[in-house]
Amino acid sequence: MNKEVLILKWLDNDLSPEELEAFKALEDYEAIIKLSNYSKGFKAPEFNTDEALQTVLTNIKKQPNRQTNWLSPLLKIAAILAICFGAYYYTTTLDTTINTHYAEKSLIQLPDHSEVNLNALSKITYNPKQWTDNTRSLKLEGEAFFKVKKGSTFNVVTTSGIVTVVGTEFNVKQRQNYFEVTCYEGMVNVTFNSAETKLKAGDSFLIINNKPIERLTLSAKKPDWLNNVSSFISVPLSEVLDEFERQYNVKIDAKTIKQDELFSGKFTHNDINIALQSITQPLQLRYKKVNKTIILTRE
Amino acid sequence: MSKQLYKNICDKSRFEAFFKKHAKSLHSFLYYKFGDRLNPEDKTQEAFIKLWENCKKVSPDKAKSYVFTIANNLMLNEVAHQKVVLKHQQTKTTHQTNLSPEFLMEEDEYRQKLEQAIANLTEAQRVAFLMNRVEGKRFKEIATLLDISTKAVEKRIYGALKKLRQDIDEL
Repeated sequence: MNKEVLILKWLDNDLSPEELEAFKALEDYEAIIKLSNYSKGFKAPEFNTDEALQTVLTNIKKQPNRQTNWLSPLLKIAAILAICFGAYYYTTTLDTTINTHYAEKSLIQLPDHSEVNLNALSKITYNPKQWTDNTRSLKLEGEAFFKVKKGSTFNVVTTSGIVTVVGTEFNVKQRQNYFEVTCYEGMVNVTFNSAETKLKAGDSFLIINNKPIERLTLSAKKPDWLNNVSSFISVPLSEVLDEFERQYNVKIDAKTIKQDELFSGKFTHNDINIALQSITQPLQLRYKKVNKTIILTRE
Repeated sequence: MSKQLYKNICDKSRFEAFFKKHAKSLHSFLYYKFGDRLNPEDKTQEAFIKLWENCKKVSPDKAKSYVFTIANNLMLNEVAHQKVVLKHQQTKTTHQTNLSPEFLMEEDEYRQKLEQAIANLTEAQRVAFLMNRVEGKRFKEIATLLDISTKAVEKRIYGALKKLRQDIDEL
């Protein structure tokens, strides 16, 4: 048997009796045994396990085990998640608001490609994330003309009343003490003071100072203001003048004249002088421009 | 791989059992590798304290190699390779009365040579060799303790033996 194998087997304490004899017969037997025996003298100093354990345990007691270690990273993660979720929630519930200023008109396309024309000094508010095929709803302050794509119910919520349609063209005008809905195509449902009114094409619904006003059927396809003309049929002068202020961004001083007089007529949005004449002439009034104020007086 | 009974050894009784099982072999490992100058006992205890502090992060099957690595690093941090000195514990020879002075001298000389030769071994050779010769550990046990193969243990121990004999003859 190979010498190296024998020595290895001896080292590993794995010799059979015959192999042991063979090992003893090796010429280096004596030297190896001597070396091995003397090596035993290099034994590691006695290690008292129990004593060492006690030392370790007392050391451990001195340093309280920080049990709450996991809490702080967890809290950090929770905080980040909360912020992310909060931001997500905030942005998804955030409403889109579009408003127009004096003398400004705006065409807006809604998420379902319905169109809204906003007249001067008006505002619509809606939430694009909640704008689904099933619920279409927006808030309106001021005046707007809607061209609604066919689909589910479309709600226009105003402080005066709710206008509900399915797919049609209509105009909503909601101003102070003034609420007017005109239907140009299809059918419109107006809820005012919890009473419902159905409007067919050409019908209009007008409330002034909480009183319903009878209107004649129109034949126009679109409200005149889309063509930069404001037209009125039997509307109190005060509302006409308010509209004028909105379109030209001026102040009208008409303290000396009666404002509940009814006015039927039109004025353009393009030329302030022509517009003033179209209002003052039929009513036999005089006007004077001082800076941005227009003073109206009786002739 | 055996299924782990515990997720960690943060429990005190589990920790104590683990300590009793491994502290001694860790201590001799450190002693054989680095000698007694660097206080292997302290390093052993320190390594186990570290294990307790991090007990949640160390799984039980990694705990043994964890304390060995920590203790080893603690040693290495302290000194960059000082010469290893192992003290030969004088074997009691009182029962032998008929020793000639020449024999005693010869014995002393041999012991010194061996001391130097062992210091000249590589760390790996010395650790494996002394674990085998002094502690009487078999190859397989040493292999598990050092996380190496049995073949590697064989090689180290046989290499150590060869080198020691050669060195002693030369000295």
